[in-house]
Amino acid sequence: MAEAGPATPSIEVGDLLSRADAGEPLLLLDVRNDEEFDAWRFEGRRLIETLHIPYFDFIEDAPGCVDRLPRNREIVVLCAQGGSSAMVVDTLREAGVGARNVAGGMVAYGEYLQPVRVPVDAAEAVSWEIWQVNRRGKGCLSYVVRSGREAIVVDPSRDVQWYEGFVRRLGARIVQVLDTHVHADHLSGGPALAIRSGAPYFVKAGEGFELRQPVEPLADGQELRLGGEAGVTVQVRIMATPGHTPGSSSYLVGRRHLLTGDTLFVKSVGRPDLGGHVVEWGRALFRTLRERLAKLPEDTVVLPAHYAGPDEIGPDAVVAAPLAVLRRTVPELQIADEEVFVAAMRAALKPPPAAYAEIIRANLGLVEVEGDKATEWELGKNQCAARTMPAVS
Amino acid sequence: METRQLDVRGTKCPVPIFRAKKEIDGMQAGDVLEVLATDPGSVSDFQGWAKTSKLAVLREQRTEKDPTGREVYVHVLERRG
Repeated sequence: MAEAGPATPSIEVGDLLSRADAGEPLLLLDVRNDEEFDAWRFEGRRLIETLHIPYFDFIEDAPGCVDRLPRNREIVVLCAQGGSSAMVVDTLREAGVGARNVAGGMVAYGEYLQPVRVPVDAAEAVSWEIWQVNRRGKGCLSYVVRSGREAIVVDPSRDVQWYEGFVRRLGARIVQVLDTHVHADHLSGGPALAIRSGAPYFVKAGEGFELRQPVEPLADGQELRLGGEAGVTVQVRIMATPGHTPGSSSYLVGRRHLLTGDTLFVKSVGRPDLGGHVVEWGRALFRTLRERLAKLPEDTVVLPAHYAGPDEIGPDAVVAAPLAVLRRTVPELQIADEEVFVAAMRAALKPPPAAYAEIIRANLGLVEVEGDKATEWELGKNQCAARTMPAVS
Repeated sequence: METRQLDVRGTKCPVPIFRAKKEIDGMQAGDVLEVLATDPGSVSDFQGWAKTSKLAVLREQRTEKDPTGREVYVHVLERRG
Protein backbone atom coordinates (compact mmCIF):
# COMPACT_ATOMS: atom_id res chain seq x y z
CA MET A 1 0.00 0.00 0.00
CA ALA A 2 1.49 3.32 -1.09
CA GLU A 3 1.34 6.55 0.88
CA ALA A 4 -0.14 9.34 -1.22
CA GLY A 5 2.38 11.65 -2.82
CA PRO A 6 1.95 15.23 -4.02
CA ALA A 7 1.95 14.08 -7.66
CA THR A 8 -1.29 12.11 -7.38
CA PRO A 9 -3.35 13.02 -10.48
CA SER A 10 -6.67 14.56 -9.54
CA ILE A 11 -9.91 15.96 -10.92
CA GLU A 12 -11.93 18.84 -9.49
CA VAL A 13 -15.56 18.22 -8.43
CA GLY A 14 -16.88 20.71 -11.01
CA ASP A 15 -15.05 18.97 -13.87
CA LEU A 16 -16.23 15.58 -12.71
CA LEU A 17 -19.86 16.75 -12.53
CA SER A 18 -19.67 18.31 -16.03
CA ARG A 19 -18.29 15.08 -17.45
CA ALA A 20 -20.83 12.93 -15.63
CA ASP A 21 -23.73 15.20 -16.65
CA ALA A 22 -22.56 15.03 -20.27
CA GLY A 23 -22.86 11.24 -20.11
CA GLU A 24 -19.17 10.30 -20.22
CA PRO A 25 -18.79 6.64 -19.25
CA LEU A 26 -17.02 7.19 -15.94
CA LEU A 27 -16.29 4.53 -13.37
CA LEU A 28 -16.44 5.97 -9.87
CA LEU A 29 -14.71 4.05 -7.09
CA ASP A 30 -16.04 5.18 -3.72
CA VAL A 31 -13.62 4.16 -0.93
CA ARG A 32 -15.55 5.46 2.10
CA ASN A 33 -16.84 3.12 4.80
CA ASP A 34 -20.25 1.42 4.43
CA GLU A 35 -22.04 3.84 6.77
CA GLU A 36 -20.89 6.95 4.92
CA PHE A 37 -21.49 5.35 1.51
CA ASP A 38 -25.06 4.37 2.45
CA ALA A 39 -25.85 7.80 3.90
CA TRP A 40 -24.72 10.08 1.07
CA ARG A 41 -23.67 9.42 -2.54
CA PHE A 42 -22.00 11.38 -5.30
CA GLU A 43 -24.71 11.98 -7.91
CA GLY A 44 -24.63 13.33 -11.45
CA ARG A 45 -27.65 14.22 -13.53
CA ARG A 46 -27.24 10.81 -15.14
CA LEU A 47 -26.52 7.62 -13.26
CA ILE A 48 -22.79 7.19 -12.62
CA GLU A 49 -21.46 3.62 -12.61
CA THR A 50 -20.14 3.25 -9.06
CA LEU A 51 -18.06 0.63 -7.28
CA HIS A 52 -17.71 0.61 -3.51
CA ILE A 53 -14.56 -0.78 -1.88
CA PRO A 54 -13.57 0.86 1.44
CA TYR A 55 -10.01 2.24 1.53
CA PHE A 56 -9.16 0.07 4.54
CA ASP A 57 -9.77 -2.99 2.37
CA PHE A 58 -6.92 -1.66 0.20
CA ILE A 59 -4.77 -1.26 3.32
CA GLU A 60 -5.59 -4.83 4.33
CA ASP A 61 -5.28 -6.48 0.92
CA ALA A 62 -4.24 -4.17 -1.93
CA PRO A 63 -3.66 -6.87 -4.61
CA GLY A 64 -7.03 -8.49 -3.88
CA CYS A 65 -8.81 -5.14 -4.30
CA VAL A 66 -6.89 -4.21 -7.47
CA ASP A 67 -7.95 -7.53 -9.00
CA ARG A 68 -11.60 -6.52 -8.63
CA LEU A 69 -11.15 -3.50 -10.93
CA PRO A 70 -11.22 -3.35 -14.73
CA ARG A 71 -7.86 -2.59 -16.38
CA ASN A 72 -9.09 -0.86 -19.49
CA ARG A 73 -10.90 2.10 -17.94
CA GLU A 74 -9.93 5.30 -16.22
CA ILE A 75 -11.19 5.10 -12.65
CA VAL A 76 -12.14 8.14 -10.58
CA VAL A 77 -11.59 7.57 -6.85
CA LEU A 78 -13.62 9.32 -4.16
CA CYS A 79 -13.51 9.41 -0.35
CA ALA A 80 -14.67 11.74 2.43
CA GLN A 81 -11.96 14.40 2.19
CA GLY A 82 -9.61 13.28 -0.57
CA GLY A 83 -6.82 11.73 1.53
CA SER A 84 -7.72 8.05 1.48
CA SER A 85 -8.72 8.21 -2.18
CA ALA A 86 -5.32 9.72 -3.06
CA MET A 87 -3.63 6.75 -1.39
CA VAL A 88 -5.83 4.35 -3.34
CA VAL A 89 -5.08 6.19 -6.62
CA ASP A 90 -1.33 5.80 -6.02
CA THR A 91 -1.80 2.11 -5.27
CA LEU A 92 -3.84 1.60 -8.43
CA ARG A 93 -1.35 3.47 -10.64
CA GLU A 94 1.53 1.44 -9.25
CA ALA A 95 -0.44 -1.65 -10.27
CA GLY A 96 -0.92 -0.24 -13.78
CA VAL A 97 -4.56 0.83 -13.38
CA GLY A 98 -5.37 4.33 -14.68
CA ALA A 99 -6.93 6.35 -11.85
CA ARG A 100 -7.51 9.91 -10.70
CA ASN A 101 -8.42 11.36 -7.33
CA VAL A 102 -11.50 13.52 -6.72
CA ALA A 103 -9.87 16.54 -5.09
CA GLY A 104 -11.34 17.29 -1.67
CA GLY A 105 -13.71 14.29 -1.75
CA MET A 106 -17.29 14.51 -0.50
CA VAL A 107 -16.49 17.65 1.50
CA ALA A 108 -15.62 19.47 -1.75
CA TYR A 109 -18.68 17.93 -3.43
CA GLY A 110 -20.86 19.24 -0.58
CA GLU A 111 -19.48 22.76 -0.99
CA TYR A 112 -19.31 23.02 -4.79
CA LEU A 113 -21.58 25.73 -6.27
CA GLN A 114 -22.79 25.60 -9.88
CA PRO A 115 -24.48 28.73 -11.29
CA VAL A 116 -27.19 28.13 -13.91
CA ARG A 117 -29.05 30.92 -15.67
CA VAL A 118 -32.83 30.68 -15.31
CA PRO A 119 -34.62 31.21 -18.65
CA VAL A 120 -36.87 34.29 -18.66
CA ASP A 121 -38.94 35.99 -21.38
CA ALA A 122 -36.95 37.93 -23.95
CA ALA A 123 -38.65 41.15 -22.83
CA GLU A 124 -37.66 40.46 -19.20
CA ALA A 125 -34.11 39.44 -20.11
CA VAL A 126 -33.47 42.95 -21.43
CA SER A 127 -33.51 44.38 -17.94
CA TRP A 128 -32.75 41.58 -15.46
CA GLU A 129 -31.59 38.01 -14.92
CA ILE A 130 -31.89 35.29 -12.30
CA TRP A 131 -29.12 32.80 -11.61
CA GLN A 132 -29.90 29.62 -9.72
CA VAL A 133 -26.81 28.60 -7.78
CA ASN A 134 -26.97 24.83 -7.36
CA ARG A 135 -25.09 23.33 -4.44
CA ARG A 136 -25.13 19.94 -6.10
CA GLY A 137 -23.88 17.81 -3.21
CA LYS A 138 -26.52 19.01 -0.80
CA GLY A 139 -29.38 19.80 -3.17
CA CYS A 140 -29.46 23.41 -1.90
CA LEU A 141 -30.43 26.21 -4.26
CA SER A 142 -29.59 29.87 -3.77
CA TYR A 143 -30.24 32.74 -6.15
CA VAL A 144 -28.67 35.87 -7.57
CA VAL A 145 -31.05 38.37 -9.15
CA ARG A 146 -29.34 41.13 -11.12
CA SER A 147 -30.72 44.22 -12.77
CA GLY A 148 -28.36 46.87 -14.11
CA ARG A 149 -25.50 47.17 -11.66
CA GLU A 150 -27.43 45.92 -8.62
CA ALA A 151 -27.90 42.39 -7.32
CA ILE A 152 -29.90 40.65 -4.62
CA VAL A 153 -28.61 37.38 -3.19
CA VAL A 154 -31.16 34.94 -1.74
CA ASP A 155 -30.37 31.99 0.57
CA PRO A 156 -26.58 32.09 0.12
CA SER A 157 -24.48 29.19 1.39
CA ARG A 158 -21.63 29.96 3.75
CA ASP A 159 -18.97 30.33 1.03
CA VAL A 160 -19.69 34.07 0.86
CA GLN A 161 -16.59 34.87 -1.21
CA TRP A 162 -17.99 32.79 -4.04
CA TYR A 163 -21.11 35.03 -4.20
CA GLU A 164 -18.97 38.18 -4.01
CA GLY A 165 -16.87 36.99 -6.94
CA PHE A 166 -19.87 35.88 -8.95
CA VAL A 167 -21.76 39.18 -8.53
CA ARG A 168 -18.58 41.13 -9.37
CA ARG A 169 -18.20 39.13 -12.60
CA LEU A 170 -21.80 40.07 -13.49
CA GLY A 171 -20.68 43.69 -13.23
CA ALA A 172 -22.89 44.39 -10.22
CA ARG A 173 -22.76 44.97 -6.48
CA ILE A 174 -24.86 43.34 -3.77
CA VAL A 175 -27.57 45.72 -2.51
CA GLN A 176 -29.72 43.28 -0.49
CA VAL A 177 -29.26 39.85 1.08
CA LEU A 178 -32.34 37.73 1.83
CA ASP A 179 -32.97 34.38 3.46
CA THR A 180 -36.34 32.73 2.83
CA HIS A 181 -36.27 31.29 6.36
CA VAL A 182 -34.03 30.19 9.20
CA HIS A 183 -32.46 27.15 7.54
CA ALA A 184 -32.09 23.88 9.42
CA ASP A 185 -29.99 21.92 6.93
CA HIS A 186 -27.13 24.29 6.13
CA LEU A 187 -25.39 27.30 7.59
CA SER A 188 -26.55 30.56 6.06
CA GLY A 189 -23.98 32.85 4.48
CA GLY A 190 -26.56 35.66 4.61
CA PRO A 191 -25.46 37.64 7.66
CA ALA A 192 -21.75 37.48 6.75
CA LEU A 193 -22.38 38.37 3.11
CA ALA A 194 -24.52 41.36 4.14
CA ILE A 195 -21.87 42.67 6.52
CA ARG A 196 -19.06 42.25 3.98
CA SER A 197 -20.99 43.97 1.19
CA GLY A 198 -22.60 46.67 3.37
CA ALA A 199 -26.06 45.55 2.23
CA PRO A 200 -29.13 45.10 4.44
CA TYR A 201 -30.01 41.54 5.49
CA PHE A 202 -33.49 40.17 6.00
CA VAL A 203 -34.84 36.94 7.39
CA LYS A 204 -37.98 36.41 9.45
CA ALA A 205 -37.71 33.89 12.26
CA GLY A 206 -41.30 34.16 13.50
CA GLU A 207 -42.82 33.90 16.92
CA GLY A 208 -41.02 31.93 19.58
CA PHE A 209 -37.56 32.42 18.08
CA GLU A 210 -34.83 34.62 19.44
CA LEU A 211 -33.16 36.11 16.37
CA ARG A 212 -29.85 37.80 17.06
CA GLN A 213 -28.83 38.54 13.49
CA PRO A 214 -28.76 42.21 12.49
CA VAL A 215 -31.92 42.30 10.38
CA GLU A 216 -33.57 45.21 8.60
CA PRO A 217 -37.25 44.16 8.66
CA LEU A 218 -39.33 43.93 5.50
CA ALA A 219 -43.13 43.68 5.59
CA ASP A 220 -45.44 41.30 3.78
CA GLY A 221 -46.29 42.89 0.42
CA GLN A 222 -43.38 45.31 0.47
CA GLU A 223 -41.51 45.69 -2.81
CA LEU A 224 -37.79 46.11 -3.36
CA ARG A 225 -36.76 47.88 -6.52
CA LEU A 226 -33.63 46.60 -8.15
CA GLY A 227 -31.63 48.26 -10.90
CA GLY A 228 -31.92 51.95 -10.28
CA GLU A 229 -31.19 53.04 -13.84
CA ALA A 230 -33.87 54.33 -16.20
CA GLY A 231 -35.66 51.41 -17.80
CA VAL A 232 -33.55 48.82 -16.00
CA THR A 233 -35.53 47.71 -13.01
CA VAL A 234 -37.25 44.72 -11.52
CA GLN A 235 -39.51 44.53 -8.49
CA VAL A 236 -39.04 41.91 -5.80
CA ARG A 237 -42.15 41.48 -3.66
CA ILE A 238 -41.98 40.02 -0.14
CA MET A 239 -44.68 37.40 0.53
CA ALA A 240 -45.21 35.90 3.98
CA THR A 241 -45.62 32.14 3.39
CA PRO A 242 -45.53 30.54 6.86
CA GLY A 243 -45.61 26.77 7.36
CA HIS A 244 -42.20 25.15 6.93
CA THR A 245 -41.24 27.70 9.58
CA PRO A 246 -43.49 30.40 11.09
CA GLY A 247 -41.39 33.13 9.45
CA SER A 248 -40.96 31.58 6.00
CA SER A 249 -41.07 34.17 3.21
CA SER A 250 -41.24 33.83 -0.56
CA TYR A 251 -39.91 36.41 -2.99
CA LEU A 252 -41.71 37.21 -6.23
CA VAL A 253 -39.25 38.49 -8.83
CA GLY A 254 -40.83 40.44 -11.66
CA ARG A 255 -44.30 39.24 -12.52
CA ARG A 256 -43.93 35.49 -12.28
CA HIS A 257 -40.70 34.08 -10.82
CA LEU A 258 -41.35 32.97 -7.24
CA LEU A 259 -38.48 32.02 -4.95
CA THR A 260 -40.43 29.74 -2.59
CA GLY A 261 -37.71 28.69 -0.15
CA ASP A 262 -38.85 25.49 1.53
CA THR A 263 -42.56 26.25 1.19
CA LEU A 264 -43.08 24.47 -2.14
CA PHE A 265 -40.63 22.26 -4.04
CA VAL A 266 -41.04 20.82 -7.54
CA LYS A 267 -42.06 17.39 -6.21
CA SER A 268 -43.18 18.04 -2.66
CA VAL A 269 -43.73 20.65 0.05
CA GLY A 270 -41.51 21.69 2.96
CA ARG A 271 -41.75 19.57 6.08
CA PRO A 272 -43.49 21.48 8.89
CA ASP A 273 -42.16 19.30 11.71
CA LEU A 274 -38.71 20.74 12.46
CA GLY A 275 -39.90 22.93 15.32
CA GLY A 276 -41.84 20.29 17.23
CA HIS A 277 -45.17 21.91 16.25
CA VAL A 278 -46.22 19.80 13.28
CA VAL A 279 -49.95 20.49 13.77
CA GLU A 280 -49.71 24.30 14.10
CA TRP A 281 -47.05 24.71 11.42
CA GLY A 282 -48.84 22.17 9.22
CA ARG A 283 -52.05 24.26 9.39
CA ALA A 284 -50.09 27.38 8.47
CA LEU A 285 -48.50 25.56 5.54
CA PHE A 286 -51.90 24.36 4.33
CA ARG A 287 -53.26 27.91 4.35
CA THR A 288 -50.17 29.26 2.61
CA LEU A 289 -50.48 26.67 -0.15
CA ARG A 290 -54.29 26.77 -0.52
CA GLU A 291 -54.88 30.48 -0.01
CA ARG A 292 -51.77 32.56 -0.68
CA LEU A 293 -50.18 30.57 -3.48
CA ALA A 294 -53.57 29.66 -4.95
CA LYS A 295 -54.05 33.30 -5.95
CA LEU A 296 -50.93 33.35 -8.14
CA PRO A 297 -51.32 32.83 -11.89
CA GLU A 298 -50.75 29.45 -13.54
CA ASP A 299 -47.61 30.59 -15.32
CA THR A 300 -45.82 31.48 -12.07
CA VAL A 301 -42.44 29.74 -12.10
CA VAL A 302 -41.56 28.13 -8.78
CA LEU A 303 -37.85 28.31 -7.92
CA PRO A 304 -37.34 26.42 -4.66
CA ALA A 305 -34.49 26.38 -2.12
CA HIS A 306 -33.96 22.62 -2.36
CA TYR A 307 -34.43 19.51 -4.40
CA ALA A 308 -34.24 15.88 -3.31
CA GLY A 309 -32.69 14.15 -6.32
CA PRO A 310 -31.21 14.67 -9.80
CA ASP A 311 -34.57 13.75 -11.36
CA GLU A 312 -35.77 17.20 -10.27
CA ILE A 313 -33.14 18.96 -12.38
CA GLY A 314 -34.65 19.93 -15.75
CA PRO A 315 -33.06 19.40 -19.19
CA ASP A 316 -31.93 23.06 -19.06
CA ALA A 317 -30.11 22.23 -15.77
CA VAL A 318 -32.56 24.39 -13.78
CA VAL A 319 -34.71 23.12 -10.90
CA ALA A 320 -38.03 24.89 -11.58
CA ALA A 321 -41.65 24.24 -12.52
CA PRO A 322 -44.74 26.28 -13.41
CA LEU A 323 -47.43 26.41 -10.72
CA ALA A 324 -49.87 24.93 -13.24
CA VAL A 325 -47.81 21.73 -13.32
CA LEU A 326 -47.24 21.58 -9.57
CA ARG A 327 -50.96 22.01 -8.89
CA ARG A 328 -51.47 18.82 -10.89
CA THR A 329 -48.46 16.74 -9.78
CA VAL A 330 -47.41 17.54 -6.21
CA PRO A 331 -49.34 15.08 -4.02
CA GLU A 332 -49.66 17.43 -1.03
CA LEU A 333 -51.27 20.10 -3.23
CA GLN A 334 -54.06 17.66 -4.09
CA ILE A 335 -55.30 17.64 -0.49
CA ALA A 336 -58.25 20.04 -0.17
CA ASP A 337 -59.05 19.46 3.50
CA GLU A 338 -56.94 21.01 6.26
CA GLU A 339 -57.40 18.10 8.70
CA VAL A 340 -56.45 15.55 6.05
CA PHE A 341 -53.38 17.66 5.18
CA VAL A 342 -52.26 17.91 8.80
CA ALA A 343 -52.80 14.16 9.27
CA ALA A 344 -50.66 13.49 6.18
CA MET A 345 -47.90 15.72 7.58
CA ARG A 346 -48.02 13.88 10.92
CA ALA A 347 -47.92 10.52 9.18
CA ALA A 348 -44.87 11.63 7.18
CA LEU A 349 -42.88 12.53 10.32
CA LYS A 350 -39.31 11.39 9.98
CA PRO A 351 -36.17 11.93 12.04
CA PRO A 352 -34.78 15.46 11.81
CA PRO A 353 -31.52 15.93 9.88
CA ALA A 354 -28.31 15.52 11.86
CA ALA A 355 -27.17 18.65 13.73
CA TYR A 356 -30.34 20.56 12.68
CA ALA A 357 -30.82 22.08 16.14
CA GLU A 358 -27.22 23.37 16.18
CA ILE A 359 -27.55 24.71 12.63
CA ILE A 360 -30.77 26.60 13.53
CA ARG A 361 -29.06 28.11 16.58
CA ALA A 362 -26.11 29.21 14.44
CA ASN A 363 -28.41 30.70 11.78
CA LEU A 364 -30.34 32.61 14.47
CA GLY A 365 -27.01 34.07 15.56
CA LEU A 366 -27.04 32.39 19.00
CA VAL A 367 -23.77 30.51 18.47
CA GLU A 368 -20.81 30.93 16.15
CA VAL A 369 -19.38 28.03 14.22
CA GLU A 370 -16.61 27.69 11.66
CA GLY A 371 -14.00 25.39 10.20
CA ASP A 372 -14.20 21.61 10.67
CA LYS A 373 -17.24 21.82 12.94
CA ALA A 374 -19.22 23.70 10.28
CA THR A 375 -18.19 21.12 7.67
CA GLU A 376 -19.20 18.26 9.97
CA TRP A 377 -22.64 19.78 10.70
CA GLU A 378 -23.34 20.28 7.02
CA LEU A 379 -22.40 16.76 5.84
CA GLY A 380 -25.03 15.00 3.77
CA LYS A 381 -27.94 15.92 1.61
CA ASN A 382 -30.81 18.15 2.70
CA GLN A 383 -33.93 16.45 4.10
CA CYS A 384 -36.32 19.35 3.90
CA ALA A 385 -39.19 17.84 1.91
CA ALA A 386 -42.26 16.33 3.55
CA ARG A 387 -42.54 13.46 1.01
CA THR A 388 -45.87 12.11 2.17
CA MET A 389 -46.30 9.90 -0.88
CA PRO A 390 -44.83 9.33 -4.32
CA ALA A 391 -45.33 12.12 -6.84
CA VAL A 392 -48.08 11.86 -9.40
CA SER A 393 -46.56 11.59 -12.84
CA MET B 1 0.97 -9.58 26.59
CA GLU B 2 1.86 -6.02 25.81
CA THR B 3 -0.26 -2.86 25.53
CA ARG B 4 0.93 -0.25 23.09
CA GLN B 5 -0.44 3.20 22.40
CA LEU B 6 -0.61 4.88 18.99
CA ASP B 7 -1.23 8.62 18.95
CA VAL B 8 -2.70 9.77 15.63
CA ARG B 9 -4.46 12.83 16.99
CA GLY B 10 -4.71 15.60 14.41
CA THR B 11 -4.42 13.28 11.41
CA LYS B 12 -7.17 12.42 8.95
CA CYS B 13 -7.96 9.25 7.07
CA PRO B 14 -6.21 7.14 5.86
CA VAL B 15 -3.45 7.83 8.44
CA PRO B 16 -5.08 6.33 11.60
CA ILE B 17 -5.81 2.95 10.01
CA PHE B 18 -2.66 2.94 7.87
CA ARG B 19 -0.51 3.32 11.00
CA ALA B 20 -2.63 1.00 13.16
CA LYS B 21 -2.23 -1.74 10.56
CA LYS B 22 1.58 -1.29 10.61
CA GLU B 23 1.61 -1.56 14.43
CA ILE B 24 -0.67 -4.61 14.52
CA ASP B 25 1.51 -6.36 11.91
CA GLY B 26 4.50 -6.08 14.28
CA MET B 27 2.68 -7.30 17.41
CA GLN B 28 2.20 -10.73 19.04
CA ALA B 29 -1.11 -12.58 19.47
CA GLY B 30 -3.01 -11.15 22.45
CA ASP B 31 -1.17 -7.81 22.42
CA VAL B 32 -3.37 -4.74 22.71
CA LEU B 33 -3.14 -1.49 20.74
CA GLU B 34 -4.87 1.69 21.91
CA VAL B 35 -5.29 4.19 19.09
CA LEU B 36 -5.96 7.83 20.00
CA ALA B 37 -7.61 9.69 17.13
CA THR B 38 -9.43 13.01 16.68
CA ASP B 39 -11.03 12.34 13.28
CA PRO B 40 -14.74 11.56 13.94
CA GLY B 41 -14.77 9.43 10.79
CA SER B 42 -12.32 7.05 12.47
CA VAL B 43 -15.14 5.54 14.57
CA SER B 44 -16.94 3.84 11.70
CA ASP B 45 -13.68 3.33 9.77
CA PHE B 46 -12.18 1.21 12.59
CA GLN B 47 -15.43 -0.79 12.81
CA GLY B 48 -15.31 -1.42 9.07
CA TRP B 49 -11.63 -2.29 8.99
CA ALA B 50 -11.95 -4.72 11.94
CA LYS B 51 -14.59 -6.63 9.97
CA THR B 52 -12.17 -7.38 7.12
CA SER B 53 -8.87 -7.46 9.01
CA LYS B 54 -7.25 -10.85 9.45
CA LEU B 55 -5.12 -9.71 12.40
CA ALA B 56 -7.03 -7.02 14.32
CA VAL B 57 -10.06 -7.43 16.59
CA LEU B 58 -11.85 -4.27 17.78
CA ARG B 59 -12.36 -4.70 21.54
CA GLU B 60 -13.69 -1.29 22.53
CA GLN B 61 -14.35 2.24 21.33
CA ARG B 62 -14.79 5.19 23.66
CA THR B 63 -14.78 8.97 23.49
CA GLU B 64 -12.65 11.04 25.85
CA LYS B 65 -11.66 14.69 26.05
CA ASP B 66 -8.04 15.80 26.03
CA PRO B 67 -6.84 18.76 28.17
CA THR B 68 -7.68 21.24 25.39
CA GLY B 69 -11.31 20.03 25.38
CA ARG B 70 -10.87 18.28 22.04
CA GLU B 71 -12.81 15.03 21.57
CA VAL B 72 -10.52 12.01 21.35
CA TYR B 73 -11.77 8.72 19.94
CA VAL B 74 -10.01 5.76 21.54
CA HIS B 75 -10.02 2.53 19.55
CA VAL B 76 -8.84 -0.55 21.45
CA LEU B 77 -7.59 -3.33 19.17
CA GLU B 78 -6.26 -6.78 19.94
CA ARG B 79 -3.86 -8.73 17.74
CA ARG B 80 -5.38 -12.06 16.73
CA GLY B 81 -3.53 -15.37 17.08
